[in-house]
Amino acid sequence: MSEHTPKASRREFLLKVAGGSAAVATATALPGVVTSADRPKRYAMVIDTRRCVGCQACSVACKTENEVPLGETRSWVEFIEKGNFPNVRRSFLPRLCNQCEKPQCVAVCPTGATYKRSQDGIVVVDADVCIGCKYCVQACPYGMRFINPVTGAADKCDFCLHRVEQGLVPACVNTCQGRARIFGDLNDPASEVSRLLSSNATSVLRPEMGTEPMVYYIDADHTDARDAARQSIYIRIETNRRQKERV
Amino acid sequence: MHELNWGLPVILYLFLGGMGAGAGAVSASIFLRSGGGDLAGSNFRFARWGALLAPVLVILGTGMIVLELGSFQTGHYFRFINLFRTINLSPMSIGSWVLALFILVSLAYAYTFLRPDAAPGDALQTLRKKLAWAMVPLGLAVALYTGVLLGAMPARPFWNSPILAMLFMVSALSTGVAAILLVRALFAHRGIISPDNFERHSYMLSSSDMLLIGLEVVVIFLFLMFGHLTVGNVKTAMSVILGGEMSALFWFGFVLLGLVLPGLIEMKYVLPTLLYQRPFAIPRRMEVAICVLVLVGGFMLRYVVVIAGQMTGPVGI
Repeated sequence: MSEHTPKASRREFLLKVAGGSAAVATATALPGVVTSADRPKRYAMVIDTRRCVGCQACSVACKTENEVPLGETRSWVEFIEKGNFPNVRRSFLPRLCNQCEKPQCVAVCPTGATYKRSQDGIVVVDADVCIGCKYCVQACPYGMRFINPVTGAADKCDFCLHRVEQGLVPACVNTCQGRARIFGDLNDPASEVSRLLSSNATSVLRPEMGTEPMVYYIDADHTDARDAARQSIYIRIETNRRQKERV
Repeated sequence: MHELNWGLPVILYLFLGGMGAGAGAVSASIFLRSGGGDLAGSNFRFARWGALLAPVLVILGTGMIVLELGSFQTGHYFRFINLFRTINLSPMSIGSWVLALFILVSLAYAYTFLRPDAAPGDALQTLRKKLAWAMVPLGLAVALYTGVLLGAMPARPFWNSPILAMLFMVSALSTGVAAILLVRALFAHRGIISPDNFERHSYMLSSSDMLLIGLEVVVIFLFLMFGHLTVGNVKTAMSVILGGEMSALFWFGFVLLGLVLPGLIEMKYVLPTLLYQRPFAIPRRMEVAICVLVLVGGFMLRYVVVIAGQMTGPVGI
């Protein structure tokens, strides 16, 4: 709680302490661990892959809700099929923008068109400012960004900001049949995402990129073709991302 | 990863922009070395070629990247102005400002050389000298920043190397020298300055290009070696040119055609003068051949780096 600005009034400060202390209490505050609890909300998604059946309802809902142009995708599901009969497994990996705590796309944006919202941590693109230089498309380790052929600006998942601002959950979460996608505020210790994160082993995608994703997976299968080759098992990864291969 | 978001326009920009920035920096430093061209053995005429080339090449290259902008492709032709309504720590933001400054300064610098009767000590000499002092750091900055820009992303392991910017800068200087040497070999009249001076300038350019090629070989060696000796993302990315899909283009197109061959030809003509003080003599045809090879190499380098960087990405998920 050392990051309050000198300008903040005592009243604001007290409010912050009151709001933040709850989060700090549950986060077992370790020395040196930054909890960025001074952000009013910290939206995150937990994806419980055990509950995903690969129905693609989220992919479809996302396309409809956000009018994602034909041939582009903001969110999709990857199918991972592996093993040698009879020891086999098929699992699903829903993908969307990770709304990283350290977004590389934001770090490289030359115009400031893409930024991480200070109020809730959602990474957004201002299509009226973006010049479409594609630097962020290169910088994203998850291949989440694309140039929208209609606006000419970079585009990506924004947790359905227009819905979230109205108190609704993102379209993909709303439509999820198996309730595999769970959305909520990490600053609220009672939220379902906070509870799931506390009581489950979770992982994020490509943690070595240092981006600190805010999309967490329960029981995600991180196997790729290299792992499968090393383990001498069969693997087939299918994705309905715009390019029919995982990036 | 096989999604080529940056294509030929970006490759051409990196090539032309680098060449123009290199030519500008080389021209200005040659000009300043001879005391602004008013000392004996003036390099004035010879700095003029670089001065006239620099803005043309850089503006041509910059025009290319505008074509690659998503906003331009969808009809928002002037949205790129947004680059100049802010400045932040993005290499592209700083690079755009440096590039814009370079274009303005290089245009002014070229203007001081434009009149056919421009000569050392004329009315524009003071301005010319001041601009030349700005041209050297600006040229180097434009040549460097493109490498910094590509190198800034962990998600692009092939590019994510601090020595990539160095490689681009050395290559920019080398292609800049080659560009000056080429237009000079094609269009210059030996009569305007004395044949002796003409050969002296040829020697100066050829020998410095030889030095730059030597340096480029060292830098490319370090780039490859550190990539190869590591494990994980960088090693996997580097394998694209070490046995992978782009190996032939890299080794034959860039290393052999663009570095080794012109380097050896230059050595053949430069070493006798350098080591035994023999008079320097090189057939014009050879000079042209060297330049064309160096330019082909410079293009191949940008091509291989830009494509290989986008073909590869983090491994695992």
